[in-house]
Amino acid sequence: MATTLKKFALRTFSRVFPEGTRNSLHRRLCKPLAEQFCGKVTDEFLEVLLRGMEASFCLLKGYRENIEGFSGTYVFRTDDGRVGCSAVFSDGSMDVDPKPRAPYEVRVSFKDAPALWRFLLAENQDILDSILANDVDVDGNLNYIYKFGFLARDLQHRLGVA
Amino acid sequence: MSSITVRDLSLRDIKLGPQLAALREAYFRAVPEICTERPLLITKFSREAGLFGRDRISVLDKGRLYRKILENRFPVIEHTKAHQRTPSGLEEFVFDGSSPFAGSTTSKFKGVPLYPEFMALSLWPELWTMTRRGSNPYYISDEEVRTLNQDVFPYWLKDNIVELARARGDNADRNRIQLLQKFVLFLASKPNCISHTIPDFSRAVNEGLRAVIDDAHGRKTQAATEAQKEFYQAISEVMEGIIAYARRIADAGAAMAESAADPIKKAQLTEIARIYRRVPEYPAESFREGLTTIWVCWTAIHLENANVGLSLGRLDQVLYNLYARDVQAKRLTVDQAVELLGYLWLKIGDHVPMIPSAGEQLFGGSGSNQAITIGGVDAEGRDAVNDLTYVMLRAIELMMLRDPNLNARFHPEVHDDAYLRRLCEANLNTRATPALHNDRAVIEALTASGHTLAQARDYGVIGCVEPGSNGRFYGHSGALLVNLPSALELALFNGRHRHFGMEKLISLETGDPATFSTFEQFRESLKGQMLWLLEQAIALNELLGRIHQCFYPTPILSALFEGPMESGKDLIAGGATLNASGIAIIGLADVADSLNAIETLAFGSGQFTLAQFLDALRKNYEGYDWLLDRIQDPQQTPRFGNDSPQSDGNALWVAKTLHEAVKDKRNYRGGNYRVGYWTMTNHAGFGRLIGATPNGRKAGENFSSGLTPNSGVTPSLTAALQSIAKLPAPFVDNGMAVNLKFTPDDGDAETTLSRFVAYVKGYFDARQDQPSGGMEIQFNVTSHQDFIEAVKDPSQYDKLLVRVSGYTAYFKDLNPRMQKEIIDRTEYCLSTGRAVLYEPFPLPQGGDDGHNA
Repeated sequence: MATTLKKFALRTFSRVFPEGTRNSLHRRLCKPLAEQFCGKVTDEFLEVLLRGMEASFCLLKGYRENIEGFSGTYVFRTDDGRVGCSAVFSDGSMDVDPKPRAPYEVRVSFKDAPALWRFLLAENQDILDSILANDVDVDGNLNYIYKFGFLARDLQHRLGVA
Repeated sequence: MSSITVRDLSLRDIKLGPQLAALREAYFRAVPEICTERPLLITKFSREAGLFGRDRISVLDKGRLYRKILENRFPVIEHTKAHQRTPSGLEEFVFDGSSPFAGSTTSKFKGVPLYPEFMALSLWPELWTMTRRGSNPYYISDEEVRTLNQDVFPYWLKDNIVELARARGDNADRNRIQLLQKFVLFLASKPNCISHTIPDFSRAVNEGLRAVIDDAHGRKTQAATEAQKEFYQAISEVMEGIIAYARRIADAGAAMAESAADPIKKAQLTEIARIYRRVPEYPAESFREGLTTIWVCWTAIHLENANVGLSLGRLDQVLYNLYARDVQAKRLTVDQAVELLGYLWLKIGDHVPMIPSAGEQLFGGSGSNQAITIGGVDAEGRDAVNDLTYVMLRAIELMMLRDPNLNARFHPEVHDDAYLRRLCEANLNTRATPALHNDRAVIEALTASGHTLAQARDYGVIGCVEPGSNGRFYGHSGALLVNLPSALELALFNGRHRHFGMEKLISLETGDPATFSTFEQFRESLKGQMLWLLEQAIALNELLGRIHQCFYPTPILSALFEGPMESGKDLIAGGATLNASGIAIIGLADVADSLNAIETLAFGSGQFTLAQFLDALRKNYEGYDWLLDRIQDPQQTPRFGNDSPQSDGNALWVAKTLHEAVKDKRNYRGGNYRVGYWTMTNHAGFGRLIGATPNGRKAGENFSSGLTPNSGVTPSLTAALQSIAKLPAPFVDNGMAVNLKFTPDDGDAETTLSRFVAYVKGYFDARQDQPSGGMEIQFNVTSHQDFIEAVKDPSQYDKLLVRVSGYTAYFKDLNPRMQKEIIDRTEYCLSTGRAVLYEPFPLPQGGDDGHNA
């Protein structure tokens, strides 16, 4: 996960360098995520997604606008408990915590990485569909998940892999 | 003037005019477009009024809010642009949008209204992708995506009915919300809306909204409480808002007329301006003005109430005097009346419900289910069929639209064969509409559940098939959709459910069926689970109802309803003359047939144990082909729909158990609970979530629709209808849908029609075990081959109308499972009354993950 220092560096970079350079760095940093977005899903999908989001919020002003004034804690975990982490949003920034936090707005338990990928990104399947298929269990405010789904797809859109 | 003066009841000589036909073509080409007008205005004005984060929003707060929105809506005179599907995506096209009716439900030609206070946020994840949906795509511009993402949705993350309920409920309530969000046990529609009712348009048409305002002012000065004073002030606010909206349309129409070069167009626009300056503020003086009043009020009602099951009621009664007066004075011809209605039907269909991508599997293809009711008897029991009944029928026949959903009332002791014949003829011509309702049975059901006789006689159909007194019944007929086979599942697995995982106790432990020694023990276990399921669903409905009372008063609808003005109470607070909450049961035939199979095979023959049955279910009948053959043969295992006391007895037991479980419960508005059997597309959606069932249905397969017997096991049409008609009307007070499929062309058209009429009459006829006769029936009259062709090439069948289970839909819009379910429905040959056998249709391409369109 990106450290506070890394995020500071990325934000400074985004302020200093022109848009083309920023975008170029963004594409390089998000290359692993772009591959996962294209369907090459690995067990690391969640980590790659959150890391990609974190970097994108630092580098892309337009993407950062999505979370201005927004606060919320998300907990993600696999059904077997092997993977678990939190994404914490607070007015324009996002922090990833490798531990599940409480309290949370929403907790997502998912069967495996492909199930989470389908839940968030599959073209003909969405959040409701994954719940119907019992691949994903959501505890808490579904609206936060809807927003997170948008953030993931918006990033996909910005990376040109939608 | 006699009620029936038209010589040809079919009005065959009346055809669609070229302008209306062209507009109809544009309508079919247009894909729905997301409209951001309402969400943006309601968010902006809610912020300005400080309504977010409040503990309660009063009816006056709402009244002022809706007035502001009405005063700021863009006054659409006509739409000239829309988007259509092309091989390269959705592209804009232009058309002549001239219509005698200005104004619109949304800002789009065919719009998707969004209600962020309810369910609109579920579209958030797919804002960028909804234009590419395989089926039923919505157009949205990039700018509109940004608007919803930044200026609308973030404000409603917590100010949203489910979250308000979660915050205010106790742990048991939160558990019920969790159960709701699993979708497998029941659905509650209050997170999306209440709607599901019929307003009273008669006052708006005959007296005008200014009279309502004057009445509210008068009552306010006499009001005993502050709450009543607030209510009457709220009524004035919203009525002024509607009048302001109409005036803005008049101004815009006049401005367009001023600049119009074409004298015909100038005259049309000038007439629009004249009419909208008069109505709905003042009494309508012509048929067209009456229609305009209803249309403007209808758009306003949708501003406040989500577009699900809001119904227009008995328009042939409300508008008949204006129609007859115009015709008699030779100001209106029958042709012109049909044409005006055609334009109005297009307007009524100018919006579709918002359905997220995967919601397509539960509700795909559904319109807003805006029912119109024609015919029937009046409050004194006299024949109410009039010329306008036939005019409306012809307009429906010519337009063949999904919305409005036409329902015709027929009273076997009052109406003549000519009327019924015309209704059946319309079904043959349209292939799917109108649905037919037996007044005798419906009136019996309604009087048994609290309507007076006069109120019951004045019923209209709500949403799909639910009956309720016109303009005075706030019944939320679609409050709960209960997946009955889930209760069976819980009984079979002692409180566990395969969808949740067998290690988790979901409900009550009612015993391991493998240990039961009698069939009665199993039925008692099922009864326990049914009661538990209803208890959960009703408790959640009550909680959500109380949240509606705190946050979502409905002053617009209250002003156009019988009861609230008299009592000084909003509808949501119980102000209607009649109140109720409706439950729709999904899967009755599957549960009844499962009981039949268990009774016969596990307890009757002694050759087979319930433990073995459970093993077959766990293995999805793999290795149990011999058992499947036996279950599916009605000669060996009784099946509901074969008119035998044994086979139909279990269906009756289930219906009676459910009716008795809810009939004495009172809802948060002081009304009762009612049970009905209509399923929309949920018999496919719920079916997908349930494992194999004892009636031979394999995991994931569809349940039977409505109250229709399972497909392929009822060879005789007469026997099937007699079984259905055995269910006493009072057990079905929230309506029922019986879906029949007829082979359409059986030789001579007149003979076909006569046989059609005979079957309907036979079904509606009184009999010893059901003196009222069957309650409702609806048809698909499309050949098996045509359906198969429509799956292969939807573009050639883009207007093919079908009855799903209650509502009408375009076949191409249905999800693959629903298409399969309709194709597999038992098809009867009218000449023999026997089922025509076909191999089960394979799930169309796209399966569960997409659509074939």
